[in-house]
Amino acid sequence: MSNEILLKNCSLFDPVQGIDGETVDIAIRDGRIVESVGSKATIINLHHRLVMPGGVDLHSHILGSKIGMARTMMPEYHRTDPVPRTDTTRAGIGAIVPSSFVIGYRYAQMGYTTVIEPAVPALKALNVWEELADVPHIDVGLLPMFSNSMITYHYLQNDDLSGLAAYIAWILRKTGGMGVKVVNPGGTYAWAHGMNVRELDTTIPDWDLTPRKIIRGLVEAVESLGLPHPVHLHPNNLGKVGNVETTIAQLEAVRDIKGHNGRKHIIHLTHISFDSLGMMDEGVPEWKYVSSGGLELAEYANKNDHFTVDLGQITFGPAITMTGDGPFQFSLYQMTHNKWSNLSVDVELPGGAGIVPYIYNPRSPANAVQWAIALEYALSIDDVWRCVMTTDSPNAGPFTQYPLVLSWLMSREQRKIWADKIHPFAKERSTLMDIEREWSFYDVAISTRAAPARILGLQNKGHLGVGADADVAVYDIVPVKIDLAKNPDRILSAFSTSFLTLKRGEVVAKNGVLAGDGPRQVHTIHPQLDPALWNRINHELEDLINRFYVHSFHNYAVPSRYRENMEQRSVIQSERISP
Amino acid sequence: MADAHILENVVCPFCGCLCDDLRLTIENDVIVQCERGCALGKAKFLHYREDRMLSSTLRQGSSQIEISLETAIDHAARILVEARRPLIYGLSSTENDAHREAYRLAEYIGAVVDNTSSVCHGPSIIGTQASGEPMASLAEVRNRADLVIYWGANPLYAHPRHVNRFVRAPGEYIRDPKAERQMWVVDVRESVTSRIANRSLIITPGSDLEVIGTLRALVRGHTVDVASVGGVSLDTLCELANAMKRAKYGVLFYGLGLTQSRGRHNNIDAAIRLVQDLNSFTKWSMLPMRGHYNVTGANKTSTWTTGYPYAVDYSRGYPRYQPGEYTAVDLLRRREVDALLNVAADPAAHFPRDAIRGLKSIPIINLDPKRNLTSLIASVNIPTAIAGIECDGAVARMDGLPLYLKKIVEPPEGILPDREVLRMIFDRVKEVSDN
Repeated sequence: MSNEILLKNCSLFDPVQGIDGETVDIAIRDGRIVESVGSKATIINLHHRLVMPGGVDLHSHILGSKIGMARTMMPEYHRTDPVPRTDTTRAGIGAIVPSSFVIGYRYAQMGYTTVIEPAVPALKALNVWEELADVPHIDVGLLPMFSNSMITYHYLQNDDLSGLAAYIAWILRKTGGMGVKVVNPGGTYAWAHGMNVRELDTTIPDWDLTPRKIIRGLVEAVESLGLPHPVHLHPNNLGKVGNVETTIAQLEAVRDIKGHNGRKHIIHLTHISFDSLGMMDEGVPEWKYVSSGGLELAEYANKNDHFTVDLGQITFGPAITMTGDGPFQFSLYQMTHNKWSNLSVDVELPGGAGIVPYIYNPRSPANAVQWAIALEYALSIDDVWRCVMTTDSPNAGPFTQYPLVLSWLMSREQRKIWADKIHPFAKERSTLMDIEREWSFYDVAISTRAAPARILGLQNKGHLGVGADADVAVYDIVPVKIDLAKNPDRILSAFSTSFLTLKRGEVVAKNGVLAGDGPRQVHTIHPQLDPALWNRINHELEDLINRFYVHSFHNYAVPSRYRENMEQRSVIQSERISP
Repeated sequence: MADAHILENVVCPFCGCLCDDLRLTIENDVIVQCERGCALGKAKFLHYREDRMLSSTLRQGSSQIEISLETAIDHAARILVEARRPLIYGLSSTENDAHREAYRLAEYIGAVVDNTSSVCHGPSIIGTQASGEPMASLAEVRNRADLVIYWGANPLYAHPRHVNRFVRAPGEYIRDPKAERQMWVVDVRESVTSRIANRSLIITPGSDLEVIGTLRALVRGHTVDVASVGGVSLDTLCELANAMKRAKYGVLFYGLGLTQSRGRHNNIDAAIRLVQDLNSFTKWSMLPMRGHYNVTGANKTSTWTTGYPYAVDYSRGYPRYQPGEYTAVDLLRRREVDALLNVAADPAAHFPRDAIRGLKSIPIINLDPKRNLTSLIASVNIPTAIAGIECDGAVARMDGLPLYLKKIVEPPEGILPDREVLRMIFDRVKEVSDN
């Protein structure tokens, strides 16, 4: 059978199966991992090279109007990195905000095979699905934003949790989402009034609601639906010195909520570089008093297991910030006086998302401290399964910098080299330099594969057990022969370009050379509601959408023509929610 | 009335408002009635069968002879393969999948690909590239705006339902738009729009940049030591600046009067900076009044494919961007291009005389549903289906909202959507260039 492959002599790191560098053979048939294959299978001898499941990125801005606006604003970035067409690949641009084709190519070249777009305005999802057709090689999932939506507020204010859950279910089904994103709950809404809301119990404009009530309501709704991915939280008070206190308060605010089916993790905290800023004793919330809050958050995490995080690691150099946090973006504009765009989005993000280019300067004391935060956290927590490596691409740096982040996590020597180059605040205002821990390949495989897949609820991703998707990354190093901690440059070269990337059993990249488009899917969640509740929500949303928006309820959904070729729909049973 | 039915919530493919509340009556696969649309939208839906090209044609001397679609595709492919510097232009009056095919073809043959924003809101995009842009959404305008300014725009003519749907309509937090929402118009002359506004400022033609600069100074609290700017008294400008700062939620809509008058992208940059400044005091956003129904979509598709919103040159195998250099008018004026593939636009009707001379000297392949000035001078005409009437597709409203155009009736026999014709040209180009 020609669709059978045997990868021989893999040095496999597969934490889901507990495999820590043992030499194994991997059998693939019809795009999936199987027990064994026949004698006619294509044999690829990997000679003990490092093998991991395909990388899973649970937070990277790759689609939709925000990145489109960022690309439009930044031709000066693009022209530094032209990407010519080849016989198998399309042309485009790379650098910080690559064009759609190039995003797929570069992830595949790094051995990543699944990427989650974490901030979709649901009413613009059609645009996202169109772009998806031009993002090759990677599986994708979409997280629509709910925390500043007037419809969310309508249900919360009426204490109608069934209605809120049904609204979420309707959006996921009609626009093809897989989870719930929360961004500065109430604060982005307040930005429609030129204001922000920073604290949990501040009442937001126009509504009798607080961030606490919004976050709790959304977490409860997600757990009542039984969504595989918990609420994905970008907290209030982003980018403010001392905000690790607010962040912990927000985590604390939902700690008592029971996860469905007994699951422990009910919230995912994203990009901690921006929400775990500490403050010196006797200080005030100004940048000169900033310190790392990474250790404080890690200590909280080691005592409380209801949440997971991703890093949003600063990588230095040019970046572009884009968040659904309009007031934060405006404050960043006031600080930098760089370009600033704001995208108001009908009803769902009335104050609007923001986009500001930013260059992380190694000489900046604030940026140096931010650099230390996420590393300090990742190297201080007991459980790597709750810690995912990201750069919140392209906010803290583009995803192509992941190998650099891994080099910091895996090599104390590399951390020293960098700490000596950057502002001394990195050493003085964090404990980073005292930490001896170095991540192993096993830790890397957890943080970049197994953990994100588990947090997302993607059961066939992040491992290479029988039945898993044959998404495989092979790197050109033999683990037993090299001490990477002493050779940080080899970390960079090995993880920058995979030796082989397989997507569903097809080789899509070999030493950086790409094949044509491989098989790929968009993973969506399709909650089944009690028919009476489904009926109710359709009637109510027709009224609400026609009242709040200036386009029709009937033109809101993403038509199947844009979805049917790519959508992998997982039906979940949510009928127990009372109508 | 053998086969009559009514379609609700139809999206109107005319201007950048993309009104999606139209109601069409269809009898025997013909649209016979259009309700709720403006005069422009109604005309598009009710006269869609007029002035159609119903067969591909080839120009021979001064006459156009009818040819088969296959022959037309072959001629088109050969023109493009033989060209050393081909240009693909237009795209704003068709749906996004047609754009995607156009870029694939442009990349393959190393063409320049430009859309009509290079002759309308191109300067707005250059302004955004200098400063960013706080963009409004139309629903939020209706729900919240208490001060709306139209600058260099005459929506009652160009976007006839814009004022009624978004400004004079009640919204969630503006229950009585007449009393709670002010509408000001700044223009170089009185217009039908300025006559219904609460206030109208007539400024001297070409003085927009000075007027905006003065407003910025006043908003920032500087004193300006002149009696008037751009023909407007300083007192009036102070009044406007104060009204802008006092507004709770202001929105600036700007049109070609600002983008294409003296100063061009500098005007827009200044307007963006003004709106950004105002956000230190209160909430302000802005929005370009996009004309063609999918020119916003053309910028979006171009950007996700190439990184750049218009004026893209693929001649080196990768996209390069330079307005003024790779923009259609400039290429034609310099006689730099030697073939044009025109899709859903009428450059012969809208370009400056100098550029039209350039057009007349090169072979033109023209894809359009209807006869127009470009079809008269084209070497090859290939008729196509009208998006939003005879074929489906996705488009973007002026505020970026994507909407889906439905297919309402069958196109005339043998007539295909732009995207399919472009795909056929691409396939034929590959065959011809492989031989």
